[in-house]
Amino acid sequence: MTRTLAKLAATVATAALMVALGGPAAQAKDFLLGSELPLTGNLARVGQGMHEGIAVAIDMANKAQAGKHSFKVSTIDDETSPAKAVAAVEKLIGDGVVALTGGYGSNIIGPASEAAQKAGVVYITSGGVTPDLTGRGYKTFFRINNTDGYALAMIGLLQDMAAKKVSVVYLNKEATSNLAKQVKDALGAKGVTVTMHEFDGATSDFKPLINKVKLQDRPDVVAMVGYENDYVGILRAAKVLKPDVKAMVGVWSLATSQMAKEFPDLMENVHGTSMLPYPVEFTQPEALEFAATYKKLFNKEPDYLGQFGYVQTRLLIDAILRADAAGTLAGGGLPDELRKTDAQTLIGRVTFDAKGDNPNFTHRMGQHQGGKVVLVWPKEFANGAMRFPATPW
Amino acid sequence: MIELTLQALFSGLLAGGYYATVAVGLALVFGAMRVINLAHGELVLLAAYIAYAAESRYGINPVMAIPIALVVVASASAIVYALLSRIEHDREINSLILTFGIGIIMTNGILTIWAADIHSTTNPWFQDSLVIADTLFAMNAEVAFFIGGLALMAGVYWWLNHSWQGRAVRALTSNRNAAMLMGVNPRQTEILSFMIAALLATFAGVAIYTGKTVFPSLGHVLTVKAFIITVLAGMGSIHGVLIGAIMIGVIESLTVTYLSASLQELAGMLLFLVVLFVSPSGLFGGRRALAR
Amino acid sequence: MKHAMKHAILGAALLAAYVGVPLLFGGTPYVMGLIVAALTIAGVALAWALLGNLGGMVSFGHAAFFGVGSYTSAVLSMKLGVPVFAALLLGGLGAAVASVAMLPALRLRGPYFALAILAYAHIFQILATEMTPITGGAGGLLSIPRFPTLFGLEFGGKTGGYVIILTIILLSAFAYDAVRRSAWGLALKAMHDTEIATRVIGVPSTHLKAAMLALSAFITGVVGAFNAHFISFLEPDYAFSSTWTVLPIAAAIFGGYRTVWGPVVGALVIYLLDQLVFKPILPHGHQMVLGVLLCAMILLSPGGLLPVLLRRRRSEGGRHAHA
Repeated sequence: MTRTLAKLAATVATAALMVALGGPAAQAKDFLLGSELPLTGNLARVGQGMHEGIAVAIDMANKAQAGKHSFKVSTIDDETSPAKAVAAVEKLIGDGVVALTGGYGSNIIGPASEAAQKAGVVYITSGGVTPDLTGRGYKTFFRINNTDGYALAMIGLLQDMAAKKVSVVYLNKEATSNLAKQVKDALGAKGVTVTMHEFDGATSDFKPLINKVKLQDRPDVVAMVGYENDYVGILRAAKVLKPDVKAMVGVWSLATSQMAKEFPDLMENVHGTSMLPYPVEFTQPEALEFAATYKKLFNKEPDYLGQFGYVQTRLLIDAILRADAAGTLAGGGLPDELRKTDAQTLIGRVTFDAKGDNPNFTHRMGQHQGGKVVLVWPKEFANGAMRFPATPW
Repeated sequence: MIELTLQALFSGLLAGGYYATVAVGLALVFGAMRVINLAHGELVLLAAYIAYAAESRYGINPVMAIPIALVVVASASAIVYALLSRIEHDREINSLILTFGIGIIMTNGILTIWAADIHSTTNPWFQDSLVIADTLFAMNAEVAFFIGGLALMAGVYWWLNHSWQGRAVRALTSNRNAAMLMGVNPRQTEILSFMIAALLATFAGVAIYTGKTVFPSLGHVLTVKAFIITVLAGMGSIHGVLIGAIMIGVIESLTVTYLSASLQELAGMLLFLVVLFVSPSGLFGGRRALAR
Repeated sequence: MKHAMKHAILGAALLAAYVGVPLLFGGTPYVMGLIVAALTIAGVALAWALLGNLGGMVSFGHAAFFGVGSYTSAVLSMKLGVPVFAALLLGGLGAAVASVAMLPALRLRGPYFALAILAYAHIFQILATEMTPITGGAGGLLSIPRFPTLFGLEFGGKTGGYVIILTIILLSAFAYDAVRRSAWGLALKAMHDTEIATRVIGVPSTHLKAAMLALSAFITGVVGAFNAHFISFLEPDYAFSSTWTVLPIAAAIFGGYRTVWGPVVGALVIYLLDQLVFKPILPHGHQMVLGVLLCAMILLSPGGLLPVLLRRRRSEGGRHAHA
């Protein structure tokens, strides 16, 4: 596998050299992309989701460019370890990849994208949302989503619900605590009473915590910021204790088809961020093709991780093609070309600012309704009415 | 406030019962073999995944899946035992690496077969609430497996004290050489303790699958927790495991109630250290190991 | 004669390590990075084995020292502007100071001690998460200063990092060896055999144990500090990860923890085999191969890899062998 990739890399390098030496510019080319992702370890689940999206983007690009150019991706598992992520990025760059797509977890993306920056290779991701990442101002670092977009969606929904008292239950990890604090500050400034409840990743019984929410806070809405198993734990505890709230609202990894299938009773009426409804009601041709390809490759409905992985890779491929056509690819023109991006994608409009962040990113909110995920916020994307007040019990 | 405290105590008690079912098997094997099975958490997890496979593929109720899971976990345990028994020197330390290696193989095997998604039962009965006197809340699964776990542990306790085989296990625990002189067949007794540990692991695994969520990296977490409780109890003490586990469960839920959920692990660890510093061989360690 | 040969071998090995490896792999940052990561594990493995052999204590919580060392050094260099190399040593000192908090654990035996140290590691990790103003909390510290350029040598890069960690390991190994051969080493060995005997001859065994714990903590802390400046990033989950405990133990036992160099050889073999050989062949199942390898090692050669290699050399070299 690696040997063939190395051979391929050598071919690409030779091809690039031939172009540089004055070969015909409009030649068919093989582009090798690199991908560093957690496929094992703590982040394996999300890493595999993004990995699927990347594979779909590559498949679609090859179909679109058939006879002209071809794309391949070489993936290395970073085992959810920063040192191995750096090693993976260095190996991929050594193999001659044009650019990198992937990465999950701000703490792993940090060092990995630094290695890419050092080599002047583009690193695009949707797996790290902390402001620190773009705060470094790297020329080669790009991401299509950020904490702000998630926070805005959650805050927007909570305001639409006219919640006066909100209990925020959040995991004490980086991305989750950043987001929770942002929500607290924004709501607090608007006169909403917010109580914060931090929990540890080892928590599996949420009853004592939810009981505090129920008996002491008595909020209108419980806002949850965590990951899948945290949501399941919180919702189960809430379903048992039945606090008198009007809605349960979460963020990522919650309003997904997978959660709807695995935990149908638990998810009913729960809100979470979601770009697309489920079952997906695609209207644009690109989205239809995306869903069909996803089905073909993985025999399942695309989830949000796949969508983000797809969009980031699609934008990268487009920029590579533009840079190649302009003849700037070999000369390090890819970052500039990517910065010119202004596209309507599955996750909305994407442009990149000087630091590589996507200032247009705002998430949407979906609600689990009878095994489906219905988009309920903002109004212009809503494909159904919000059930409110409504809880899983 | 009183309502909060009562619920915290109740939740802690149930959590303690769950910790104990995970830990007892580890303690039993340590007692009989002087071996710390670092793959114990993975064996528990394996049982949980078998229950998942049985339910998702054939619609078998997780409780009914216990016999199937038991066969698989017992076979895996037999393999672990067969490998362990081939260690001749420095068994205490070499067994750590051996079982750690087995743990790695199992975690990655589970990851390969079942991917990294989280799973839990889809049978709603297990998550339905059970309310006692309008103040104490729990899921059906928690209470059912708490009672079942207690019964199972009581059975093991009785067996250790009253059956010849059980006494052989205790004899091995307290003085290996003397036990062998007295005609205890160590191999047979060790295998037996391994099989009982497999039964407890299976039960614990199904309890986790119905009451919590399972994912591949959980095995290691379970092993560490079980290990801490085993040591807190005093290596080899069965009723110590139950008491130690409930202490940990209660202190955790009280910390969540009065301080913060992010400090519960801290409280558990501090309790563990304080107990060890006061009583260096655990709550019921030393000469009185294994029952009594 | 024997000594001359020993010195020649040592000299050749040092030359190969300091000059040969950078010349060979300096151009491929990927391989160099893996070697540095392997040596980082090796450093902890060495410190762990030192505690086991000299102090007679098995620890399951060396991540505690690794984490404290890395945070001490990172915070000192970021917030107080302490030069990185000085912060590195202070990181080791910080870990040694942390070991003082563990003195009550010294009277615990076997698994009780091992798990008490693990509990400390957990507690330190939670403290690092909660002490947000100093440690940056769960978000951790990004852009920790890298090693500077000194005497025209660029220590911030892969090769520079390699030279630093190699030096840390060599100095630690020499210190380990020196203690082992010293009067202290004898006393410790006596203590190993029977603690009562040492008390009778008047050696304060607890002091010796505490000293070994502090030494082991210091080495681990320096290695942790090195890693923080090399990776340039820290967060509590990473700094106190059980990986920093488990992998070094596996490496030490794999290589042969009774010897000084066994843990280093074990770490290099395990890490590099896994990453360079198994991973390209089996991108998803390579950790399973590592597990099989560990099991096979324990079953086939419980003394570890290094003793096997030495035995072979000894039987080939006949009388040239030395004890």
